[in-house]
Amino acid sequence: MKIGIDVGGTYTDAVLIDSGQVRQTGKVPTKQDRLLDTVLEALDSLDIGAKAFPREKVENIPVSTTLVTNAILQNRLSAVELILLPGSGMKLDSLAWPVPYRVLGGELDYRGRRVADLDSHEMQQLAEILKEKFLQAKQQGEKALAVVSGKFAHRNYILEQQLAAYLRKEIPDLTVALGSEWGQTNFFRRSLTAYLNLATRDLFSDFRDKLTKAVRARGLNAPIKILKADGGMQQAENIRPVESVYSGPVASLLGVLAQSQPEESYIVVDVGGTTTDIGLVLSGRPLLSSKGAHIGNFLTNVPSLAVRSVAVGGDSVILSAAGKQTTSEGEENINIEENINIEENINISLADYRLGPAYCLGGNNPTTTDALRYLGLIDFGDYIRAEEAMALLLPEDMREIPRLRNVAQKVLNLMVEKIALTIEALIKQWKEEPAYKIWQVLNPQHDYIFPIKLSGGGAGGIAEALGQRMNTTAGLAKHSMVVNAIGAAMARPTFSWTLNLDTNLRRYRIEETGEQGEWRGSLRPHREVEQFLKDLASKQAKKMGLDESQLETEPFDYFPLIEGYLTVGQIVRGRVHLPPGAFQLQNSGLPA
Amino acid sequence: MKKTGIVFFPAFDWSLGETHPEREERLLYTQEQIFEEGVMDLPQIKQYSPAVADLRDVLRTQALFPNPDRHDLDAHLIAVGCSLVLGKALMAKEITNGFVLVRPPGHHSGTVVWGNRGFCTLNNEAILVNYLRTYYGLKKIAIVDTDVHHGDGTQDIFYYDPNVLCISIHQDGRTLYPGTGFCEEKGGPNSWGSIVNIPLPPGIGDEGFLYALEKWAMPAVREFKPDIIINSAGQDNHFTDPLASMNVTARGYGKITEMISPDLAVLEGGYSIQGALPYVNLAILLALAGEDYSGVIESQKMKRRVLGGEEVRAYIDKLHEYYKQIEPRWRYAQRQEWRLPAGNWVIRERDIYYDTEGIREQRYDLIRECRQCGGTVFISTSNLNTGEKAVLVKIPFEACPACEQAGYDLAEQYKKSAPTLLLQNQLHNRISFWENGKEVNLFATHN
Repeated sequence: MKIGIDVGGTYTDAVLIDSGQVRQTGKVPTKQDRLLDTVLEALDSLDIGAKAFPREKVENIPVSTTLVTNAILQNRLSAVELILLPGSGMKLDSLAWPVPYRVLGGELDYRGRRVADLDSHEMQQLAEILKEKFLQAKQQGEKALAVVSGKFAHRNYILEQQLAAYLRKEIPDLTVALGSEWGQTNFFRRSLTAYLNLATRDLFSDFRDKLTKAVRARGLNAPIKILKADGGMQQAENIRPVESVYSGPVASLLGVLAQSQPEESYIVVDVGGTTTDIGLVLSGRPLLSSKGAHIGNFLTNVPSLAVRSVAVGGDSVILSAAGKQTTSEGEENINIEENINIEENINISLADYRLGPAYCLGGNNPTTTDALRYLGLIDFGDYIRAEEAMALLLPEDMREIPRLRNVAQKVLNLMVEKIALTIEALIKQWKEEPAYKIWQVLNPQHDYIFPIKLSGGGAGGIAEALGQRMNTTAGLAKHSMVVNAIGAAMARPTFSWTLNLDTNLRRYRIEETGEQGEWRGSLRPHREVEQFLKDLASKQAKKMGLDESQLETEPFDYFPLIEGYLTVGQIVRGRVHLPPGAFQLQNSGLPA
Repeated sequence: MKKTGIVFFPAFDWSLGETHPEREERLLYTQEQIFEEGVMDLPQIKQYSPAVADLRDVLRTQALFPNPDRHDLDAHLIAVGCSLVLGKALMAKEITNGFVLVRPPGHHSGTVVWGNRGFCTLNNEAILVNYLRTYYGLKKIAIVDTDVHHGDGTQDIFYYDPNVLCISIHQDGRTLYPGTGFCEEKGGPNSWGSIVNIPLPPGIGDEGFLYALEKWAMPAVREFKPDIIINSAGQDNHFTDPLASMNVTARGYGKITEMISPDLAVLEGGYSIQGALPYVNLAILLALAGEDYSGVIESQKMKRRVLGGEEVRAYIDKLHEYYKQIEPRWRYAQRQEWRLPAGNWVIRERDIYYDTEGIREQRYDLIRECRQCGGTVFISTSNLNTGEKAVLVKIPFEACPACEQAGYDLAEQYKKSAPTLLLQNQLHNRISFWENGKEVNLFATHN
C-alpha cells in the first residue's frame, strides 16, 4: 500500500494505492506559505486507518513538493559564502553569477593536474575575513556556511579539500560543502548547485523533520520519500535538497507512465491551474535534459527530465480589450498568436495568471475553463455561468450566441496553439541534441508522430483540438485529476554512477558524488574497468536499497593516451544507471 | 543579440590509427576545457548538432577517384556536414559568426582525391564555399588559412577560380610539410592574384604573425570585398606544437581571430593535443563570441626563443614587395594532342604526394583562358601506385556560354575513352559521372 502526495501550484493531491489500484483520492488547496500544513491536510483527506487500509500496511509515503523550488525562486535562502578557485581561462564575469563570490589562487588543468598551488597567505586572509563575517552572522542567529568550488575539481578534488580542511580548522563551527560533490561539468553550474544545496539545507531538513514527526504521530511508520527532478524517488533523509526541484511536472509525467504500456512513446500534457507541463516519453523512458535544471537565475547541473512549462491552464484569466492590437515586434512567436481579433475592435488574449476558480465554478473572472464549458467540451461547472462569462468579454450590444461561441472558440484556439508550440519546441530540442560520436550521427532520430496523453482538470476539453493541431491522436489519461499524486506514488528510484578514469594519472572519480580514488589496475584496461565500475556501482546501489540487477551499463568510451608514439595510458568514461520510470498501475492504459 | 554558433564534433569513436595524431583523444581536452569553462552557457553561444553531408555536395567540389565507394568517408562526411550546418545557420541569420570545431580536418584535400592527404580526405571549407555559392548565390568568398601548414588542398581547388580569394599564412614550405605555398603560386590564367601565400620564417610568434595579417593578408581581403570570410583555423602555430615552430600563443590566436573577424572559422590541424588545443580553441571561441580571452593562459610556458621586432617586420615587408612583382609564365597546351575545344588552354603539370597512404598522383591541369569567366578546367589524373586514370571536367560558377560548351564538348570527347570521368557543372549545379563509358547514378544508393 502506497500513499502519494503532490504539491501543485493551486491544489495538492493525494492518492492511496493498493495492489496497483487507486483506492482513494483527495484534493486540498495549496497554501504556498504553509506547505507542511498542506501536505498534512492532503494526507488527512485520505481515510487511512479504515478497516480496509490499516496504517501498518503503508509501505511508502512519497511526496513531490515545491518547497525547495519556491525557496529558490523567492530567494528564501540561507546565507552562504561562495569561494571560487577559477584558475585561468574565461573571465568569471562572462557568465551572470547570481550570487557574490570570493576568488582565490590555485589552479588545475583539464585532467586535474595541479598547475598552481593554493596561496597560504591568501588562505589566511580569507580565514580572517570569514571569521569576522560569521561572528556577526552568528549574533543574528545565522549559521556559518561556505562552498568551495574549483575549476576542474570534477577531475581532482585536491585543492578544494585542502582549502576546506584549512577553513574548518580555522573556523570550527563552519560547514563547508565542495563543488566536486556535484562532480559533473561545468564549473559555473557545479558551484551554483553546491551553493543552492547548502542554502536550502536547513529549510529542507526542518520541513522533513516536522513532516516525519507529524506522519509518525498519525501512526504511520513508512519511510517518507521525496521525488527528484530526474524522476527518481529517494528517502527523505538521503536526498540532497536541491535535487527535489521541479518535481511537479515530473510527477505528472510519471503518473501517465504508470498507466501506459512499457514500450510506448508519447507526449504528456498536464494542464494545471495556470501552467501546462509538457514532457516526452520515448519507448517507455522519460526524456532527460542534457543540461541540468535552470531555476530562476541559477543554472545548475541537477539532472532533470526535459519538461517544458507554458503559462496557460484551466484557470488562466481571459482578457478582452477594445482597440487596436498592440503586439510589439520581435516577441517570441509563442506570443504572436495570442491576440486574435474577434470583431474589429475586440481583442481576446489569455493572461498568465489566475484570479481564483473559473466563473462557472463560482469564481469572479472568465477563464479558459468557462470557454471549454460553454463549448460543451467539459461537463463540470455551471453552463449558464459559463455563458455569462463569455458574455462578460463582449460589449453589451454584441452578446449574441454566435459571437459568444466565437469568443469561446478563439480561447480554445489560443490555448491549443500555446501548448502546440511548446510541444514542437520540446521535440525540436530532442532532435537537436548534440552528438559527439559517429554512430550517433549515422543513426539519427526519426520523424515520429507521437500520440498525446493529457492529464489535469480541464484537459479533456482540449484533447480533440490539440490532436487536430498536432496531427495526432490525443486522449485523457485515467485518473487525470490526481495523476501527479499517482506519479509521486509510483515513481521508481533512479541511480547514476559515472566513472572518469585516467590510468596514466592512476586516478578515478565518480561524478555523482565526487568519490575519488587510486587506480591500481592496468594502463589499458578493457573488461577490467567495466567490472570495476559495476562493482562500485553495485555496492552503492545496495547501500541505497536498490535492485542492482536492474542496473544498465552504457557503452564505455576509451581514449588511448599517446606520448610520442607510445601509449601511456587511457582515459575511460563509463556509466551505470537506473533510468527514471514508474511502477505500473493495474489495468493501465487509456480508456477506450 | 549577436550569436555565435558552434558545432562541436570530436568524433570520439574514430581515428586514422592507434597512435596516429588524428585520433580519438585529439579534441578530448578541448571538450573538457570548453565545457568546464561554461562556454556553452554563454547566452550568445548557440550549439548546433552535427549532420552528415550529401555526396552530391562533395562531388560538386571534389573528384573522388576512381569512385566514391573506394573511400572511407563516414567521419569526413560528418565534418563536412557540420560545416554546412553552420553555413546554413549563418545564411538564415540565426548566427552572426560560428566555429566549426570538428575533426577530421580538410585543407590538404584537393580537387582530385585518390586517398587521404595530410589527414584530410574531404575539404570542409571548399565544399562549404561551393555549397553557399550554389544555394545562396554568394559571389565572392575569402578564405584565410592560419594553419601552420600550407592550405594546399584549398589552394588547389580554387586555383583557377577568380571569385575565391585564398590566403594562406604558414611556416615556410622549405622547412615544413607539404613543402608548397610559395609566393610564386598566385593563381591560374583567369585568376592571377586570387591566391596569396605568405610563407613565414619559423619562430616569429604572435607579433610577427599579426604583422603579416595586418599589413598583408587583411588589406588583400578588404580589397577583394568578399561576401563572407572563412578562417581555416589550424592550431599548430602554437608554441607547444611538436612539428612546427611558430611560437604563437593562445591569446595570439584570440587576436588573430579578432583581426580576421571571420564569418565562419573551421578547425584544421593542430596536434599539440594537450599543450595547445584546449587553450587555442577556447581563445578562438571566446574571440568569436566577443568575450575577453586575455585570461586564457597555457599551463606550459614558452621555452623557445621568439624572433621579433624590426627584423621580422622588414622580412615580411620585403616578401610582400616581392609577391607584388611576380609575373605569370604560362605554357600553352597543344589542342590536338589533348583533343581540346576552341580557345587557348594553359597547361600545368602537377605531381602530388598523398603522405597518409603513400599515393603518388600525376596530374595535367588544362585551363581555358577566358576574359568573361573563371574558365572551364580539364584535369587528367593518374594514380601512379595503381595505374588508375581518371578525368575531371569542371564548368565553373558563372561560366560564360563558350566555356560551358567547351566543358560539354570535353565530356563528350572523353566519356568513352576515360576509365572514369566526372563532370562538375557548377554553373547549373549538375554532376555527372561516367565509368567505363557508361553514365552511373552515384546518388541512388547514397541518398
